[in-house]
Amino acid sequence: MNLLVALLLLSPLGQTQDGSVAQERLYEEATAAVVRAAVAVVSPSIVTIETVGGAQPVRRGARGAVSERFKIADGPSTGIILSEDGLIVTSSFNFVREPTVITVRLADDRRLVATLLARDHIRRLALLRVEAGDLQAATWAPREEIVLGQYALACGNGLGGPQPFVSLGIVSALGRRNGLAIQTDAKTSPINYGGALVDIDGRVLGLIVPMAGSGGGALAGVDWYDSGIGFAIPRDRIDEVLDRLRRGEDIEPGKIGIVLGPQEPGLLDDILDELLPQSRGARITAVGDPSPAKSAGLEPEDLIVALDARPISDLEALLRELSDRAAGERVTLTVKRRWRRFERTITLAKSSEIGPVKTAAESPPPQTDEADPAEKEENGEENERPPTTQPNSN
Amino acid sequence: MTDGANILRRGGLFATGLCICFAMLCCGDVVAQQRISPEIHRAADCVVKLYGPRVGREHGYGSGVLVSADGRILTALSLLVNLQGVKVVLADGRHFEATLERADELRQLALLRIDARALPFLSPQSSSELRQGDTVVALGNWFKIADGRESISVCKGILSLRTMIDAMRLAQESELQGEVLVIDALTANPGAAGGPLLDARGRFIGLVGKVIESAATNTRINFAIPGEALVEFLQSDSASVLEPPPPQTAASGNAGRPYLGIKLSRLGYRQVSAYVQRVSPNSPAAKAGIQADDLILAVDGRRVGDVATFDEAVARLLPGQTVQVVVKRGPDVQTLSLRVEAME
Repeated sequence: MNLLVALLLLSPLGQTQDGSVAQERLYEEATAAVVRAAVAVVSPSIVTIETVGGAQPVRRGARGAVSERFKIADGPSTGIILSEDGLIVTSSFNFVREPTVITVRLADDRRLVATLLARDHIRRLALLRVEAGDLQAATWAPREEIVLGQYALACGNGLGGPQPFVSLGIVSALGRRNGLAIQTDAKTSPINYGGALVDIDGRVLGLIVPMAGSGGGALAGVDWYDSGIGFAIPRDRIDEVLDRLRRGEDIEPGKIGIVLGPQEPGLLDDILDELLPQSRGARITAVGDPSPAKSAGLEPEDLIVALDARPISDLEALLRELSDRAAGERVTLTVKRRWRRFERTITLAKSSEIGPVKTAAESPPPQTDEADPAEKEENGEENERPPTTQPNSN
Repeated sequence: MTDGANILRRGGLFATGLCICFAMLCCGDVVAQQRISPEIHRAADCVVKLYGPRVGREHGYGSGVLVSADGRILTALSLLVNLQGVKVVLADGRHFEATLERADELRQLALLRIDARALPFLSPQSSSELRQGDTVVALGNWFKIADGRESISVCKGILSLRTMIDAMRLAQESELQGEVLVIDALTANPGAAGGPLLDARGRFIGLVGKVIESAATNTRINFAIPGEALVEFLQSDSASVLEPPPPQTAASGNAGRPYLGIKLSRLGYRQVSAYVQRVSPNSPAAKAGIQADDLILAVDGRRVGDVATFDEAVARLLPGQTVQVVVKRGPDVQTLSLRVEAME
């Protein structure tokens, strides 16, 4: 071992071609040994999930049913054993077909029927339970120990085995999506969604999930498969919703029930902007009825200038902040109406609880309120419209 | 474990990088050239660029490997090589027109011939020593970015796993049989197919396959046909184009159609789950212990998703064969052993 390190460090000093090649060989052999060792450590704690039944999802768009661009297959997928008494955590992506039967194959080839307890549509997690008492739970790396640039291996059973698929990369960013996810350049895809991003000791850094920049539907983020931009949810962000998921509570994105538009800058706004840098915000163009916004008395043309006392510079900032809040969470909005500022604390609702919008006279035709900001683009109807001129709902 | 881990532990990569930077600063170009191993240079001289007409969504270009001094070229089977007048451009820029010598549908390989002598070439070798995590290097003319004498592209990755793939190509089922090398490097790109895959010592241990999708995930798979299949293909000395052997299904006749004695509930849809409606008394299924209301999950290692995939799995069975049938019964999953009989 020490010899290897010595060789690694010293070889550039004695500049021979052999030295350089030997150094590279050494590095490659070390890499291979590490990959195999890490996979061996994590393998007993990752399971193969197989499903029966279900179908390609159809999305309800503004103009009726839209089929997803990505055709989701019904092949095997991956999960991580969370507890020895049968909790398995995986990605909600693996169940968008709404299968009727879910089975789990353990590393020792035992097959068990699994129950889907609940899904977190924000973190893109799903919690399964199997009847077993002797499972080998994975070891997780605490988030404070995860550092930018460290090696990361993405493991998954989506190709069915006999070994897990493995892709080698690094941790390429921390604290993505309001701190929900870490990012990796290892290849992530339906082959390893629900699988483990592990460090060189085989400890799980995070659970691999598809994710888009923000928001999006059930398949959001899968377009980025194998792109070098992959995401994983670290353990502490799983733990914060674990009790709710275990109780069978689905976690859905929280909505205020408004359609947002950009503030239309006028001369007065420009002057105000100079004087008061935080005077801008996100303009409400329509309010759903019923909706949390309606109950709180928000109206079209109101300006949201702060969320939980943090100033909001524009509508993108607000959408980014809100994209990872769950239905049931309470947020405090600071609203500006003409010359008046006031605060409203509201409880975010599920999109299914929000009624149709009422638009201001000059606003575009009504859209369904649950429409995601990204939906229009995904429908391929309007691709080139810059986001700032597009009405956004939340 | 810890030996390797310690080298790569935080800072390991940084230290290595630092060494390399330091070395390059000290010695300039000389060291920079040493970084590209001589084996890759040698292999690159044996890689050819292939060009043909574009047909439909098939890209009209690809890569190939010279496997003999007298102009035999190994490449991936595609529409490109089936057409007359494939143009071959050697690493030194010379142009030739190739003829198709033979092809193997099952391994998706083709052998071309050009009229030339004294060429550099690579000999494929078995990939059996290659293990998960080992370094691999792929060479090819991706996106036909190299022209004439320009050198082809090289990328480096690791062996991800060896496995079989249910392949799809342009949403159609594709023939690809046997194990492949799934690699952790982006080779599923136009033009990459037919390029060589090298191991860390520069041995020619695989041939990059054409762009396919896995039926299990609907994603593109980066893979190579393993060297042992290449060796076998080159050694099989048939002069004619190989046809795939007839599939061993009911259609092939004389062995008799497989009989299990299972009647599934069919509600008029193809994509309905494979629930057993009735098991014939004394049938193979009855002897195996299959019961009404069981849900069939797998037959002979093939996953059964619905009635249609059950029928496909059964069609592959041969009378006399003993196979494992995985069923879900209530909350349990059971694996049953079934001896297939012939339909009378």
